Amino acid sequence: MLQCIFLLSDSGEVMLEKQLTGHRVDRSICDWFWDQSISQGDSFKSQPVIASPTHYLFQVVQEGITFLACTQVEMPPLMGIEFLCRVADVLSEYLGGLNEDVIKDNFVIVYELLDEMIDNGFPLTTEPNILREMIAPPNIVSKVLSVVTGNSSNVSDTLPGATGSCVPWRAADPKYANNEVYVDLVEEMDAVINRDGVLVKCEIYGEVQVNSHLSGLPDLTLSFANPSILDDVRFHPCVRFRPWESHQLLSFVPPDGEFKLMSYRVKKLKSTPIYVKPQLTSDAGKCRVNVLVGIKNDPGKTIDSITLQFQLPPCILSADLTSNHGTVNILSNKICSWSIGRIPKDKAPSLTGTLVLETELERLHVFPTFRVGFRIMGVALSGLQIDKLDLKTVPNRLYKGFRALTRAGEFEVRS
Amino acid sequence: MFPQFGATAESLSKASTMVFRIGTDAHLYDDPDDVSIAPLLDSKFDSEKCEALKRLLALIAQGFDVSNFFPQVVKNVASQSLEVKKLVYLYLLHYAEKRPNEALLSINCFQKDLGDPNPLVRAWALRTMAGIRLHVIAPLVLVAVGKCARDPSVYVRKCAANALPKLHDLRQEEHTSSIEEIVGILLNDHSPAVVGAAAAAFASVCPYNLSLIGRNYRKLCEILPDVEEWGQIVLIGILLRYVIARHGLVKESIMCSLQCTDSSHSEKNSSDVDFGLVKESRDMSGTCDSEFVNMVSRCYIEGPDEYLSRSSYANRVSFELNGAQFTSGKSNDDVKILLCCTSPLLWSNNSAVVLAAASVHWVMAPKEDVKRIIKPLLFILRSSNASKYVDYIRDPDRRFAADTVAAIGQCVQRLPKMTHICVDGLLALIRKEFLTNDFGSGDQEAGVLVQAIMSIKSIIKQDPPSHEKVIIQLVRSLDSIKVPAARAMIIWMVGEYSSLGVIIPRMLTTVLKYLAWCFTSESLETKLQILNTASKVLLGATGEDLWTFKKVFSYLVELAECDLNYDVRDRAHFLKKLQSCNLVSRGPEEGTNGLPEKDLHVVAEYIFGRQRRDVKAESINYRFYLPGSLSQIVLHAAPGYEPLPKPCSLLPDDLNVPEGTCSIKKGAADYGGTDGYGTSSGSSDDEEESASAYGSQRSITGSSGGSRGDDSEFTSEGNDNVDPLIQISDIGNASENENGVSQSSTNLVELMSNRALESWLDEQPGSSNPGISEQSKVRKSSARISIGDVGRRVKPKSYSLLDPANGNGLKVDYSFSSEISSISHLLVCIEVFFKNCSSETVTEITLVDEESNRALDSADQASVVDESSLLSYDNVPTLVPMEEIASLEPGQTTSRILQVRFHHHLLPLKLALFCDGKKLPVKLRPDIGYFVKPLPMDVEVFMDKESHLRGMFEYTRSCTFTDHIEELNKESGDSLLIKDKFLAICESLALKMLSNANLCLVSVDMPVATNLDDASGLRLRFSCEILSSLIPCLITITVEGKCSDPLNLSIKVNCEQTVFGLNLLNRIVNFLVECVLF
Repeated sequence: MLQCIFLLSDSGEVMLEKQLTGHRVDRSICDWFWDQSISQGDSFKSQPVIASPTHYLFQVVQEGITFLACTQVEMPPLMGIEFLCRVADVLSEYLGGLNEDVIKDNFVIVYELLDEMIDNGFPLTTEPNILREMIAPPNIVSKVLSVVTGNSSNVSDTLPGATGSCVPWRAADPKYANNEVYVDLVEEMDAVINRDGVLVKCEIYGEVQVNSHLSGLPDLTLSFANPSILDDVRFHPCVRFRPWESHQLLSFVPPDGEFKLMSYRVKKLKSTPIYVKPQLTSDAGKCRVNVLVGIKNDPGKTIDSITLQFQLPPCILSADLTSNHGTVNILSNKICSWSIGRIPKDKAPSLTGTLVLETELERLHVFPTFRVGFRIMGVALSGLQIDKLDLKTVPNRLYKGFRALTRAGEFEVRS
Repeated sequence: MFPQFGATAESLSKASTMVFRIGTDAHLYDDPDDVSIAPLLDSKFDSEKCEALKRLLALIAQGFDVSNFFPQVVKNVASQSLEVKKLVYLYLLHYAEKRPNEALLSINCFQKDLGDPNPLVRAWALRTMAGIRLHVIAPLVLVAVGKCARDPSVYVRKCAANALPKLHDLRQEEHTSSIEEIVGILLNDHSPAVVGAAAAAFASVCPYNLSLIGRNYRKLCEILPDVEEWGQIVLIGILLRYVIARHGLVKESIMCSLQCTDSSHSEKNSSDVDFGLVKESRDMSGTCDSEFVNMVSRCYIEGPDEYLSRSSYANRVSFELNGAQFTSGKSNDDVKILLCCTSPLLWSNNSAVVLAAASVHWVMAPKEDVKRIIKPLLFILRSSNASKYVDYIRDPDRRFAADTVAAIGQCVQRLPKMTHICVDGLLALIRKEFLTNDFGSGDQEAGVLVQAIMSIKSIIKQDPPSHEKVIIQLVRSLDSIKVPAARAMIIWMVGEYSSLGVIIPRMLTTVLKYLAWCFTSESLETKLQILNTASKVLLGATGEDLWTFKKVFSYLVELAECDLNYDVRDRAHFLKKLQSCNLVSRGPEEGTNGLPEKDLHVVAEYIFGRQRRDVKAESINYRFYLPGSLSQIVLHAAPGYEPLPKPCSLLPDDLNVPEGTCSIKKGAADYGGTDGYGTSSGSSDDEEESASAYGSQRSITGSSGGSRGDDSEFTSEGNDNVDPLIQISDIGNASENENGVSQSSTNLVELMSNRALESWLDEQPGSSNPGISEQSKVRKSSARISIGDVGRRVKPKSYSLLDPANGNGLKVDYSFSSEISSISHLLVCIEVFFKNCSSETVTEITLVDEESNRALDSADQASVVDESSLLSYDNVPTLVPMEEIASLEPGQTTSRILQVRFHHHLLPLKLALFCDGKKLPVKLRPDIGYFVKPLPMDVEVFMDKESHLRGMFEYTRSCTFTDHIEELNKESGDSLLIKDKFLAICESLALKMLSNANLCLVSVDMPVATNLDDASGLRLRFSCEILSSLIPCLITITVEGKCSDPLNLSIKVNCEQTVFGLNLLNRIVNFLVECVLF
């Protein structure tokens, strides 16, 4: 089980330590950790489990903050990592993002949360709903109140009822004048297009996000028109397994507020909404770049926030790139970023220019990979369709809303 | 333009952040001690107390020690404000162990809070009370936990479950059975949340008491989907262990499929297609896999250490899974229900849950169902295995490209169907590479090329005949490939596959001529490879080609003999001799050398002609450990790693025995002779073992009445103190060890303190009142006996560094010395013995570090060691330069002390030995036993240190010891006193320990036993400190069994440096079980 949790700032400063068991962990382990991560660089940072001379370390980095947990005994490593991720998520939600200042400013809340989330190295209460009832998140009202009255207690005096219920994710008995439930399909398209323009991989990683404000203890059933297209699924703990196994129905008692009901994957899609055609020709120490972007299969809704990014090869001395639409920026780390926005009706956006190679190089023999970003509101490109959402007991004044959104995930075009 | 605007904007943004920080605790974190904290703590306002406590918390967060405020903080525990309470608890938990006496002041408040109507208050009080971990209040905590385990609030019951491991950490044996009883109650709870926490408690408190699970098995399975995710992870593991212990492995699973019979072989192949994509299952397509899966499943069950160490024993006790240890997954309900209840968990949001569920299926599910775990596991990774590697090759990052090429090679090895595509791709790449290579893109391109050829090489190795054309293409491109390593590899292929197919043999003449032509311009490694290839070709040649080959070979050898590099010259001489029979002619004449030609030919055949066995490229280490375990990732057994229980080790009867009696029975049964792994009820829990060991001893010696046996519950804290022991120690030994002078005292037993023994005897009747007072008294009741001559008999083991056969008659042995380096504590001293076994004088012998030597290699003056180059990091050289031995006459022996810094306590160090100007690579293997130095201390200090290194710093293993039997048999002719049997055992044990590790014998405890043949209770303590870190390491050996039989030893190591301690323990067990060959 975990012995200690440290929160490190992006400069390696230990902002917080929380000892969890009787076996104290000296914070010198953080110095070791930081030294290693400086000397070994990215390969170290991508290792979630590290065996230090004295402890096994789990690291999770979110928004520049490193969450470091130590143990000396066998335990499922994924449990440590998942827990740290949960801590990071909860803190981020409480504090409205993570950074060094916000953690230092609210260190008492962080301590209180950690104390509630883990007991003796084993997770205790990790359900955000319950936590919110036990420890009030900081907000403007409470801040002002604390300044005015000098009383700043954010610790609840009573135990949230949900701790004992069989649906621990749900706050006990909320009451709403307007009952609303919104279901969003948020999809990310992962695609790889190879040098010959062939779609090598195209799949959708999607999430069903629900925002529910329903009184009492609602029991919902969500069904899809075409559940058979789903390749893989993962569910929020509130989803009952039986109805899914037998009829592919999502039957659940939702937590209050926003949550991720399910994530899924749809594989082997046949087409992408836009095309990107890069052309790189090089000779005599120069390389001509020409990239064309356009709509391929019109999804029926506007495609916006189109961006294109690529890393210039290290052997390039200078680059002169212009576009007929949108803006081109070359960042200091040799990343070229072209933000297109929407594709105009009258012309196809193109990026042209030349790269000057290092002096002794004739031709370019390494080629960059283009990362594409886009967003389409109102369409789930996987084709997944929500059939209906039923409530067992329909409250008065119920509003149900459905939306869909697709954006690019790891969308890569190789040149 | 308007600089003042910029300034305003800046200050505005500053102001806005200030506004946002108002009302937060920012100022408390930034300047926690800008006001005096003490008066605030004594304030009567809660808000001021809060502020003070927050300031303290800020100081804790920043790593300051503010334990001096403890008394004032403790007072506030009685506050009615929950916020103050919470903050006080946070502070208390951080410092209670440092200030145990003051922490006691808070107990009354906790007791009061435990009766509070607010469940939150009750839960917090319980959490904190158990969390401050004071031995004194353990009985109170136990009562509180027992009460809270029946609390109406689920949250409080959950906290009760979490409090159990805290209580267990205190290691008070008298509470064990009560703790286990509460675990049982909580496992039976109807709330899933409580069951999850109870499962976690079970896993850390009593993981072997699987009978507790048996009673609720079905219920636990059914409740599993509703348990919280964290509980699910633990509970799945427990249920898996239970099913294996209860029913054994499943016949249809992958684990067993290959062990049972070969009859399933054909069936297996048919399922290959399905498994082709799975990482784990790909092994099924190989040929050596039945052995392999066998190994994996055994490792899962026995643990890799046991598995590996067993295979190295001379007397291999084979552990066979017999038919009775299998169950059928189709007919066994327990197996079915587990698989059924874990399969929906593959859809869990929490990847740890998915992996835990997947590992159940991996071990238990019928083969054909295993594939259902693949997709969820891949989904976690959010990537598809279908993406091609081809495009990566042109990635700007060339290191990455090289890795990609290597990956392609590995892919092909696993997916035979892809071979052709990949090979074609690689060939194209090679062609492209040597084109682009022209305009010097540096080392990295070369790396890609070499990697590509290496990948092709490994592909060809799998099935040479079908890749004939590939080899030919490579050979054709030889002219254009410039990178030496790549050339060398292709040339190697020519030699290796010289007799393959039809076309290659025909090409050989041309190729060899070409090679001979460009020989002089080649680099070192290519030259060596050309020579090798030429002799390989020569060996395989027949008919008219032979003559050509001979000519080419002789020409090559002549060239090589004049080469600048001595390695090439050496190789040439060697090959010339070796091939002499071929060169002269294939007649029956005698060779010029003493050896008959036939033999030479055989030797040559053996060296060059042998079919190479495929070396398994991929490391299989990670399969030793259970999937999803930490050990699997760090590639060594993390402390607390447990393999699966032995199949069917849990008997159905165990389920019906109530816990209390169960643990007693267990203790008794274990001493019947199992080695601590036999029964699932967990005799390897060493605490238990020693407790019952002393329990039995007490009943023998406790003449004062039956009461002693009964109140064993209260006396366990100090096993050592309560036992009627005589302590024997040899204080002089440590220093004796170091200076090597042996003590002349031959008096074996010297009672130094008769009075102490008497006083102990007097105390005996009074000991009927158990408790703390007794512990302090009994400690003094020891007699000291010195074993004088152990030090003198210590003979460090000697290892061979260089065989005279390999070293031109120079024999080099080494043994680890107990000397301590005066240069740096990182250095280990090794005594090296040089002996000249040849008939000629050997000159200029020296040992240098391989790494530093490499740089000097080209300069051809390796015997001169540049000291500055040896000074690597930490300013401590890997090898302190050794004084050169100018010459060694035949038969002469000399020795040198070598000071070496090993890079790791397990990895060998490569050295180069120079003699007569030749370089011989040798490997120096480390012995962890000499990475420590003796740390003399007396028993009290030892006990004190030991008490600080409990819990996870303590590791135990058992083994059997037989050395003493021989000793006893030898002496049986003499009329020795029976008591001396113990001494003989002590001596042989101590001798064994001191000859294999650099330790200091602290004390020997001897039982005053009525049964004179019973050595149980004999205990030796050794101490040492780790050379590199100066962390103390304590070793305790407890003996169990009859004097004349093999003894069961339990070896305990207490050390703060976990990995080192574990490795040291393993080493000790290994050498203790080794047989001595006198």
